[in-house]
Amino acid sequence: MTLLAALFSHYRRHPLQLLALATMIVLATMLWSGVHHLTSQARASLDQSESAVAERQQVERKDGERVTVADFVELRRQGLCVMPWLEVSSPEGGRVVGVDPLAAGCFESPDSEETPWRGELEGRPFVDISEAADLAREQTGQLSLLMSDAHSARDLPSAYRLAPFRVGPDTGELGDSFLLNLDALGVLVLLITALLVRSVYLLGMAQRRDSFALLHRFGVSRARINRLLVFEIMLLALVCILPGIWLGRWLANGLGTGFGRALEGLFDQPLYAGQDGGWLMPLATMLAVVLVACLADFLRPLARRLPGDGQRYGVLLALILMGGIAMSVWVSTLIWLFVAVAVVFVAAGTLAPMLISRLADWRAGSDKDPLSRWRHRELSVLARRLALPLVALQFAMAMVLAVQALVTTFESTFDRWLAQRLEADFYIEVPQSVDLTPAMDWLSEQPELAASGLWHRVVRGRATLPGESNEAGTKVDVFALGPIGPLVTGWQLFESTARPWQSLQQGHGVMVNEQLARRQGVTTGQSLTVELGSQELELPVLGIYPDYGRPAGEILLNVSVLPPDFIPSFQSLSISPGDLTIETVTRRLKEIWRVEELTVRDNRAIEDLASAIFDQTFLLTRAMTTLTLILAAIALLMMGWVFFSTRAWYFRLLVVWGLSRRQASGQLIRLSVSLTSAIALLALPMGIWLTWVLVHRINPLAFGWSLPMAIYPGFWFELGVLSLLIGLSIALLMSRQLRSPASVPGNANALAGGER
Amino acid sequence: MVDSLLSARGLNKQFRSGNEPVPVLTDLSLHLERGESLALTGRSGSGKSTLLNILCGLEHPDSGRVQVLGETFDSRAPQTGNRVEARWGNLRRQQIGVVFQEANLMPALSLLDNVRLRARLAGHDDDGCQDWLERLGIGELADRFPDQVSGGQRQRAALAMVFAMKPALILADEPTGSLDRHTAEAVIGQLFDLQARHGCGLILATHDPELATRCSQHLDLGHLPEN
Repeated sequence: MTLLAALFSHYRRHPLQLLALATMIVLATMLWSGVHHLTSQARASLDQSESAVAERQQVERKDGERVTVADFVELRRQGLCVMPWLEVSSPEGGRVVGVDPLAAGCFESPDSEETPWRGELEGRPFVDISEAADLAREQTGQLSLLMSDAHSARDLPSAYRLAPFRVGPDTGELGDSFLLNLDALGVLVLLITALLVRSVYLLGMAQRRDSFALLHRFGVSRARINRLLVFEIMLLALVCILPGIWLGRWLANGLGTGFGRALEGLFDQPLYAGQDGGWLMPLATMLAVVLVACLADFLRPLARRLPGDGQRYGVLLALILMGGIAMSVWVSTLIWLFVAVAVVFVAAGTLAPMLISRLADWRAGSDKDPLSRWRHRELSVLARRLALPLVALQFAMAMVLAVQALVTTFESTFDRWLAQRLEADFYIEVPQSVDLTPAMDWLSEQPELAASGLWHRVVRGRATLPGESNEAGTKVDVFALGPIGPLVTGWQLFESTARPWQSLQQGHGVMVNEQLARRQGVTTGQSLTVELGSQELELPVLGIYPDYGRPAGEILLNVSVLPPDFIPSFQSLSISPGDLTIETVTRRLKEIWRVEELTVRDNRAIEDLASAIFDQTFLLTRAMTTLTLILAAIALLMMGWVFFSTRAWYFRLLVVWGLSRRQASGQLIRLSVSLTSAIALLALPMGIWLTWVLVHRINPLAFGWSLPMAIYPGFWFELGVLSLLIGLSIALLMSRQLRSPASVPGNANALAGGER
Repeated sequence: MVDSLLSARGLNKQFRSGNEPVPVLTDLSLHLERGESLALTGRSGSGKSTLLNILCGLEHPDSGRVQVLGETFDSRAPQTGNRVEARWGNLRRQQIGVVFQEANLMPALSLLDNVRLRARLAGHDDDGCQDWLERLGIGELADRFPDQVSGGQRQRAALAMVFAMKPALILADEPTGSLDRHTAEAVIGQLFDLQARHGCGLILATHDPELATRCSQHLDLGHLPEN
């Protein structure tokens, strides 16, 4: 028999152990590469989307009429680079954009090898303009003429002007928030899977240590044994990681369909195509993780790292834990916050099994009943022997708790916030260069609207908060409303002065969003200097309002405060017409403004769409965390199975001493349920802390807005039930071992389960 | 027969090796009175442990009848498995002490706690437990854990556990098989001494012919069965 065969004979005798290790590597790879694949796809898709919806310029007629094919021909004859962009509602839902690839050719930059439109205009919804034109005969279509950035307004004939053109809303920051969450999830999943692989590997190693000692006595050097072990785990890792990556991509593509739909809704384009990602990165990462997880002890033996006195070590860990928590409260940068999170995880993870073991020993010491004393001593041994899968389960439970709380809070907060923002039933875009005064007068005169007050004008633009002396000012968004009525006065405010809406109506102040308040340290009551157009105004801050999903600072004020030279980027009318009907309103507004068409948006449809997007997005996050939890539970189940098989004799001994198998199984159930309940209890404060970190620290630091901190005892109950189920599953699996006569352990040392 | 402790009639037991049946016990009978001892000898695999397991209800014969301490277990009697197991459980808990070659103790409990646990399961209080350890010469080791004492001391603790339950019958499966000769003699001497003093029955499975001669009866299960 060769040395290699002698070394690997362990797995011939324990094929289940090899299977468990291989399964764990495959599942761990699947889970992590799934998250990684999904994150990469999401990042690529969001980049693509942002690029596609980046602001461009379009040509408009100065007389307010819509551009036509005749305008396109006229401009092309003038030698201008113009491309037609025809948007038509698709009969299958969504929209189709017809473009002319020949006309797009002139958008090509002479300095660049890439055509700016090439990547973005491939596949649905982009079609040839002739196809869109056919559709436009049956559906309503809108033609825009996009102009190359190489031209300026001076190049245009006098009847035309340039205006900004956007394909969709700018949601890049929201995407960043989502990606950061996915990245954080990926790191946690990697940590948990590394723990699980290590736990399964170490168990096998403990049982093989005798064989290694024997080989060493036969003259084989330790270095050679170690080299063979590295070879063994590398071979196993390579064999298992590849199918794991394939499964991960399969998982990601399955879940990505939902995410694709979310993106489609978000950007109004099916951009999540599920492109083929690379194999090298996940392969290298998982190989490194498996090698480090399995062979870390070769690099630095654990025994040398730990101080001799267990109690002193525990105190040290408790101090590190408290230091990490304190750090998470005080640090002001994301990097240090992540360091604090890592410190807390490491310390809490090391402390948890130790704490359970100590508590069990303490209970055993005070037990009068010898059987109960034995059970608590066994619990102590189990907590130490199953430390790694237990900690992995604790982390997974804490993560699920935090993600569930975050997602649920976000959903409820976002829904409420969105409902406030979209209080009016419709909004009507105000065409460029029309006079708003007669329209406002007409709306004010309508008795239905006067009674309800459910309408207002919205003006958006930019303002500057002047900086100190030489510093450049801070650009902020302007959100001006008038009149201030019931559409906004029900908004939830974080803080406010007395009667804030009345003051706003009178133009006596300004409100700021949470992002601006945090960034500039603005509080209610103080004065804010704002440059609006050519004027610099000093306005008291009346309140701070929540504004989720983007980091930009924003001020809310009355339209009447805006100076005449303020240039709006966008204007609209928000309105709930009631008995007046939206048809009556739009007909009259068309007459007043002398335009043929008006863009009217149904806010209820927008609200439904936005809710659907977030439902899909969070479904994805929930699915990944739940899968991680399932994996951790399976790992504990497997480890419990392997470890209990080494302890089965002692339960069998109880049967020899006269307990029935049912009674022995009862002891087993109490033991395993105590263990999983204890770890669930320890996961609880960790989960709450993690929720707090996500809600109150990471989100404000990364994006400038925070969510209310809500805890959901319902989730705690679910977690308790879950831990009960895991404990029961372990016990039921192990009870099967009690049915057949167990053999006496070969030797009563730690390797064969004789540990105390 | 007032003093009859144990009798077995026509016990048969076979295992399977692949598809082949391997008979281990064939039409075996034995009888033991109170205060008597019986040595079971035979080569490894001859069925000594299987017979001991059958005599304490940990395994069941394919056919045959066991009568022990007034309870009768007949393979032909129509009884539910749970009921049979409960009757055997009661006997093992209160009257039949079993000693294996090793691993008789719970590793997570001290020697004294092991003895207390066994006494408590048998329905006795744990007042005399320390005494039993003293009588077996390991009183000063009462608070040590099994992995902190020698193999001989562990087997003495196992005997203390058995005697603390005040058994009527002791089944010992090569109790000194893993000990050196000197320690083995000391431990076995204590076993016979206490068995005689307390008048309980003893069935001892052993490879040692000399040891077998010290028992009042000797049953040789012989060589390995065919196949």
